[in-house]
Parts: sequence; C-alpha cells; structure tokens
Amino acid sequence: MPLHGEFKQPGGKLVVVDLELRDGYLAEVHVSGDFFLEPPEALDDIVAALTGTPVDASEDDLATRIDEALAPDAMLIGFDARGVGKAVRRAVTDGSPRERL
Amino acid sequence: MSTDTDRFARFRPRWNELDWQLIRTGAQAPELHMALDEVLTYEVGSGHRKPTLRIWEWASNAVILGRFQSVRNEVDPDGAARHDITVMRRITGGGAMFIEPQNAITYSIYAPDSLVRGLSFIDSYAFMDEWVIQGLRSLGVEAEYVPINDISSTAGKIGGAAQTRRGGAVLHHVTMAYDMDPAKMLEVLRIGREKLSDKGSVSANKRVAPLRQQTQLPRQVVIDRLVETFADLRGLTGGELTTDELTRAEALAKEKFLSDEWRYLLP
Repeated sequence: MPLHGEFKQPGGKLVVVDLELRDGYLAEVHVSGDFFLEPPEALDDIVAALTGTPVDASEDDLATRIDEALAPDAMLIGFDARGVGKAVRRAVTDGSPRERL
Repeated sequence: MSTDTDRFARFRPRWNELDWQLIRTGAQAPELHMALDEVLTYEVGSGHRKPTLRIWEWASNAVILGRFQSVRNEVDPDGAARHDITVMRRITGGGAMFIEPQNAITYSIYAPDSLVRGLSFIDSYAFMDEWVIQGLRSLGVEAEYVPINDISSTAGKIGGAAQTRRGGAVLHHVTMAYDMDPAKMLEVLRIGREKLSDKGSVSANKRVAPLRQQTQLPRQVVIDRLVETFADLRGLTGGELTTDELTRAEALAKEKFLSDEWRYLLP
C-alpha cells in the first residue's frame, strides 16, 4: 500500500514523500513539493539515496544518506535533507493514505 | 528604500548597466509561455538576446505546477475538468498557480546571471522584485516581500515568484492575483493541512488579497504602472520576439510542455 508523508519547515517549503515498503526497505519512492532545487536533476539523487533504505532508518540516517548522495553544487532552497527525512519518517510511521482537508 | 533593502545597495546599480527590452504581446497559450521562458532564458544567457522583461497575457485557464510538484497531490482532476483547466509544469520550482486569464498578472525577467552574482538564492528573489514592490506601493498597496518568494501586503498574499539559474542566465517569473474566485480555486487545487501548518489559517482563500480589491483599478492600468515603474528605475526599450525565438518556442511547447512525459514527470 502506498504511504504518504509531508513536512513543511516553518517559513520554508513543503516536502511530500510517497513510498511503499518492500521486505523492510523503502521502494517506489517519490519526492515532490513546492521547494526549489538546483540543478533540478538533484531530485533523482535524493530519490536514489532513499530507495532501498531500511524502513527503520532514523531521520538522521536518512538526512546523512541524502547529503552524501547530493553533488557539492546542489542547492536546496526552502528545505533540507533533514526535512525530507522527517517526511519519510511520517510516511513510514503514520502515513497511510493521503490525508487531506 | 527601507533598511530591509539596503543590503542590496551595492548590487542595485547592476540593473542600470543592462539594456532592458520589453516584450508585451497578445494572449498566448500556457504551453507557449512555458516554452518561451525556457528559450528566452538561454537566449539571454548566450548573449543572443538583451536582458528582457516579458509581460504575459494568458489565452486560457491553467494550473501551472512547480517543477517538483506531483499532479496527484496538487490537482483535483474533477475540478480541473469541470473548469476547463490545462495542467502545465514549469521549469522552476515553487507552488501551483491557478490561472484564469483576466485574474492573473504574470511577468518574467531574463537577465545574465551576473545580475545576481554574490546574492544568495533567497536574497535574489527580493532583489529581482524590488521594482514591483515599489510599483505596487505607488498604487497605494502596502506591498512587501516575504521570504522566500512571496509578494504580500498587510491585507494578505498578492503573489509568488520562482527562479532558476541556467545557461548563464537567471529566469525570475512572478504571478500575482489581480482577482480570484476562491471557491473555484479550492475545487481545482488541493491545499493540504501540512502546507498551511505555519500560515495560522486553514482557509486558503483568506490568505490571498487580490490587487483588484486593493487598488480598484482595471487590470491593464495596474500592469501599465508596473511597466512604467520598471522603465523609470531600470530603463526599458520596446522589443519583440524574433521569428526564430517564436518558432523554437512553438516547437518546444508541443514537444515538451504539452507532453505527458513532462506534465506528469511527477505523477
């Protein structure tokens, strides 16, 4: 079942994570939101860093993996690797189907 | 200028070292606007085109998603179909815009990236829109910039900017609400709880303060004043799209911006 998590840094931008759990690992990871990211292809690096990560990876672990996967010139504007980690944790822990107003 | 903008003092003269051109044409399709932004950014970056301010006129309703937004998470498909909305994706990040042609005021600025060199991404948003804040204030709107990318006023949010730097150029584009139909917007866009978590309100329409309500002026008069402000502060010469630019943008509109592969890049 697809899981959905969101996190918005105060004063920053929304990060949305949709993913599935497969044998205890993150799969079918999608990261979206109203953030800014340069170069845009850096999104693929973020997704690759998350895919295949154990489901019990902490916010710290997730943030470290993302930071290590990003090229030195990547610029995250309005969000950061930790925020993506928070959205992943929310998807994994209480993220059932999209919660909407 | 307020102290808030004084940090731009040493950067501001750069505007006047550039020879600004104005492009203001009739209504164009949303996909052509998307393509023109991409083509003109590279044309300015390569030095083939002078720095340009382009005023948009919209030919149809649209939702313009930010580069990194998911269609499913942002757009209600039934509402979009009901209101004849085309879903488009732009090349810059940021949030979804709900466009009805006579309700939006949209412009793009294309400049060599030397204009914003030394400024952080966040500062460069406010820097690129100082002139528009001044133009709005000249119309009696208490406009201010709210980082990262909001143009706001005491009455509520007016609009938002998005920016990207590529090919040696900076593209900065803005859509402001001239008027709006909040009920229709809420039928078309999905506004989630988390998105509003630091806005102090769960009502999306309460946050927007359209310029019509704030100025009581016709849309074209507001646009004219903004263009005059840019011309007074930065200098501006009338220009037009070249045949080559238009031909390339039309091809890109069809091949890229209308393609499902691009529009549903993040489904």
